[in-house]
Amino acid sequence: MSDTATTGGAASRMPRFLRKVDPAVATSFACIIALLVFGSLYSTSFLSPEYLLQQLKVASFLGVIATGMMLVILLGQIDLSVPWTVTTGAMMASAAAAFGPAGIVLAIPFGILCGILIGLVNGIGVAYLRIPSMIITLATNAVAQGLMVVYTGGFSPQDSASEAMRWLATGSLVPGVPNAVVVWALIGAVTVFVLTRTTFGRSVYAIGNRERAAYLSGVDTRRIVMIAFAAAGGLSAFGGVLLAGYASKAAQSMGDPYLLPSIAAVVLGGTSILGGRGSYLGTVAGVILITLLQSILSVMQMPEAGRQIIYGVVIVAMLLLYGRAPASR
Amino acid sequence: MTGRFMETAPQETAPLFRMEGISKRYGGVRALEDAELSVHAGRIHAILGENGAGKSTLIKIMSGVVAPDQGRMMLDGQAVSFSSPAEANKAGIVCIFQELSLIPELSVADNIVISDPPKKFGMIDRRAQRKIAEEALARAGASDVHPSALVKDLPLSRRQMVEIAKALARKPRILILDEATSALTAADVSKVFEVLKRLRSEGLALLYISHRMHEIAELADDCTVFRNGRRIATYKAGAKSDTEVIELMIGREYQNVFPPKPAAASGKPPILECSNLSWTDRLTDISFTVRRGEVIGLGGLDGQGQRELLLALFGVLRGCTGEVRIDGQPVKLVSPAHASSEKIGMALIPEDRKTEGLMLPMTVRENLAFAAMDKVSKRGIIDREAEDRLLDEMVKLLTIRTAGLEIPVGALSGGNQQKVVIAKWLMRHPRIILLNDPTRGIDVGTKQEIYQLLRRLADQGAAIVFYSTDYDELIGCCDRVLVLYDGAIKRELVGAEITEHALIASALNIGAAEAARMARTNA
Repeated sequence: MSDTATTGGAASRMPRFLRKVDPAVATSFACIIALLVFGSLYSTSFLSPEYLLQQLKVASFLGVIATGMMLVILLGQIDLSVPWTVTTGAMMASAAAAFGPAGIVLAIPFGILCGILIGLVNGIGVAYLRIPSMIITLATNAVAQGLMVVYTGGFSPQDSASEAMRWLATGSLVPGVPNAVVVWALIGAVTVFVLTRTTFGRSVYAIGNRERAAYLSGVDTRRIVMIAFAAAGGLSAFGGVLLAGYASKAAQSMGDPYLLPSIAAVVLGGTSILGGRGSYLGTVAGVILITLLQSILSVMQMPEAGRQIIYGVVIVAMLLLYGRAPASR
Repeated sequence: MTGRFMETAPQETAPLFRMEGISKRYGGVRALEDAELSVHAGRIHAILGENGAGKSTLIKIMSGVVAPDQGRMMLDGQAVSFSSPAEANKAGIVCIFQELSLIPELSVADNIVISDPPKKFGMIDRRAQRKIAEEALARAGASDVHPSALVKDLPLSRRQMVEIAKALARKPRILILDEATSALTAADVSKVFEVLKRLRSEGLALLYISHRMHEIAELADDCTVFRNGRRIATYKAGAKSDTEVIELMIGREYQNVFPPKPAAASGKPPILECSNLSWTDRLTDISFTVRRGEVIGLGGLDGQGQRELLLALFGVLRGCTGEVRIDGQPVKLVSPAHASSEKIGMALIPEDRKTEGLMLPMTVRENLAFAAMDKVSKRGIIDREAEDRLLDEMVKLLTIRTAGLEIPVGALSGGNQQKVVIAKWLMRHPRIILLNDPTRGIDVGTKQEIYQLLRRLADQGAAIVFYSTDYDELIGCCDRVLVLYDGAIKRELVGAEITEHALIASALNIGAAEAARMARTNA
């Protein structure tokens, strides 16, 4: 008995991602290496540090958004309100920046707050009103779109991103390391901590596995679900804030290209689409994989339609490999 | 009455259906062992037995739902075997199962012909379908049900009639009714009985499974008693008294696996008082008191409201009326989170550990600590060292056999999984422990450990409310047993009153007076 306790203790001190190297995560990293090798055959500049850093910077926007998506998918739910939550975050932050010095200071928090509000509506709908997440998030997406169209009159807004937003997205505090990458790394570190070391994280996994068992164990499952959706909304909006900073301004439909890739990144990283299983390291791998795939397809001058088809096919292929429920569920 | 007499005259004719030497195992569990049964045309044959005696398995084998491991079945003297319910139907064996099998969103006629709708040019012939439905409904004595009514609009008793009509539309020679009356009121039951008696006079063989002794006394021509997967006795209805039948059902096997009971705890203060608790039509006016140090059993047949009572106490059910007091203070229990809070101190060991007690793919650590995360964390951050300490303690206390804390709990044996479920609640040091059939499907050794643990917890001052489908457990573990019938407490058995006979008699809701009356009618 005592030796099982010691092995348990020793293993527990290792971080989660070393304890269980998920085959899906390993596969994702293998795919990343394969893509890099393939890309370097196509063009020698593919392995240059500048190119790789640039890819990492682009990946960090998707990474922030996919973090929120992962939280929701771990619960066994989905967030389809990503496109216009991203856009709302970007537009509201830029709009706030136009309101004098106070607006400039509050631009980023205000953008994120708008995303949290959208997420809160999603969360209340799913947790308390028992509306399927696929429906309610699609509905809030439409409402957010409508509100933004009313606000902008359907044109690209004139407000531009604040200095702080631009600095976060394009500057580099440490020479050579883009701030966006640092931001993603920080968010990632916090997420890993939350998922592995907090009661909230355990509850998220538990709800994804067996909501009823979690509920009967005395966990306030509805509160956890609501918070997770709110956090996902906030992270999507923050992704939008970064994108607005990157492009210096917000634009209509700027969030549209992020829905499918964010789901794909999470699933490619081995998180079960049915919830309860998955590690953040996998999501990191998925995000980088998707970004590289996108980059290679555009270097090869693959038209947008072709890219969409390839995402779709890749997601289906990965779902067939990992996503199917074991018989015990 | 005279007609019935002639039919019950000794049967010399060959049986319509016969099964011999039938055995069936599920994993290590023996469900049926060398069972035999003969069914005659024009007779109603009742099957009796406790929960888990093998009745359901027997029916499932007859109706082609499961295949026997051994043995043979003969219809009209010809050997038969069924690989699916459809094949059994074709041979004329139709079963009406306990759970209603109707699809609520479809019409009565659609439901009746669902397995084999009449077709015309490849499409369902509505007119023929309606005619079949009307005939079947009339034969089932339910001509008041309109064939185009939606099943969901019908009351439960009518649905049961539709269920019978659906079975009749398949032109059965042998009709099996598994607890077909459990959802019906007394008035409906007598209607169903008329129908069954008419079907008997039409030459059908009926197999009737019910826990209600007086129904069997009224209806059956022959009776067969099963116990522990074996056929114990077959006799003509009325040949044995109720007492004799109950003794046949329970048998006489005893093992001393239970810890000794202490003196009555009646002097101790009550910790949980429940008065007039009701919930929809499943719980009616439940009132009882539990004291510190007491082990209270919930008895009765399966599904008489015991589970609902435990769930209601734990705050799971919405819309309960009545009052619950903890330590004399009235409380409104709104959720498991509330019921398990420090102030209330309840714990519920749920019925199904695989779906309600554990997250099987998650680790032993995550599962064990899950109900008591607030005890091992500060401001939501888990303190690994405190967690390790508490978990190691629990693993030792309950002697959970596991290869470490980091393996999925699903890899453990059933008994050890159940220990994890119990341990995760003990970490909260609950004052009131509710258990919903905690020893189902686990080995004898672990059962014994659980009995001893429960008594130890009671001795330390916890109050225990314990539902079990196993009568031996109730007798061996409990200071008092509340017997539920149809959502209400019918009887409270205290101390030496808790006997198998008393448990079964009250579970079947035959009071002393009724038993005496029945004895007179039988004589």
